Amino acid sequence: MDIERLNHEQLDALREISNIGMGHAATALSQLVGKTVHLDVPKVNILQISQVPEVLGGPQHLVVGIYMQILGDARGNILLIFPLESAMELVENLLLKRPAHGTALNELEVSTLKEVGNILSSAFLNALGTLLKLTLIPSVPILSCDMAGAVVDYVLIELGKAGDISLMVETEFRSEEDRIKGQFYMIPGADSLEIILTSLGIAT
Amino acid sequence: MNIITIGISEIAATGAPGVLVSYGLGSCVAIALYDAEKRIGALAHPLLPEPAAKANVAVKSSKYVSHAVDMMVEELAERGCATSRLVAKLVGGAVMFDSLYNRYREAIGQRNVEAAIAALARHGIPIVAQDTGNDYGRTLEFYTETGTIVVKAVQQPTKNI
Repeated sequence: MDIERLNHEQLDALREISNIGMGHAATALSQLVGKTVHLDVPKVNILQISQVPEVLGGPQHLVVGIYMQILGDARGNILLIFPLESAMELVENLLLKRPAHGTALNELEVSTLKEVGNILSSAFLNALGTLLKLTLIPSVPILSCDMAGAVVDYVLIELGKAGDISLMVETEFRSEEDRIKGQFYMIPGADSLEIILTSLGIAT
Repeated sequence: MNIITIGISEIAATGAPGVLVSYGLGSCVAIALYDAEKRIGALAHPLLPEPAAKANVAVKSSKYVSHAVDMMVEELAERGCATSRLVAKLVGGAVMFDSLYNRYREAIGQRNVEAAIAALARHGIPIVAQDTGNDYGRTLEFYTETGTIVVKAVQQPTKNI
């Protein structure tokens, strides 16, 4: 499937299924932190792999990246990006203790954030799987807290094997007062795009 | 001062007093070549070690470590830098996520570094300094005036290599 040849209907469909999946994920997050979580309309970013770090706020921007593979009937990647301040806020909400400033996240904090990744991606993939009649499950999450460029190049290396263009479905979410915000990326594998669109009955 | 930013898959060369910069290197490895006599440097920020064996790559791409080294050597030769005078420095090639996946992804950072070492050996270019591996991202500034590379990382002391 040629990413650059996707038509309007197909791009709309990708936005719509992500919106539904993210709706479920946002509900889960909202219940977890006891705050309303708002979603922006998903965007389908089709860009050169070299441009991806810019989308994440610039390659030097400090973020917590939680990465999961999509396993099952369709393969792909999920990347959950929290600006460092938001990740700290999230940890404080869940552990009722603010992480010490200026030090690396400790084991409990890392584990907490990975669990958030697991819950959000499970909710997302569950909704998506039901909709598409596919079995989609997330892998065990892995986490890195560093410069955005360094966090994401691991994922880009995998995408780079297939081509120079990446397709990322991006949804931004934010809690009331904007204290916790982040970006949720679904990055379907090259073959998975076809599987997803076929399941929706709009493959070309 | 002329500052050139080199993003993923890009290469560039410049002469003193230019500065070549790459931000947020994780598993990617940046390869810097320097000719101290001409005070000209080149920097590459490739993504992958080499093209897949089955891939038919007609044109060289700076996306690959092996091609990027060849392209920089050619570019520097055009600018009058003898390959025999070139020295190399490597930065990056970290293992960004914990070990769980490394078997699966064959520690891509390490493979990028190995590919760079092999490509440089092919051209007979010595590696005079290296700040690679570990589990953190790096930003580098390569000063062609002196050939010094400043490596910055989060919660790590700044290094000059």
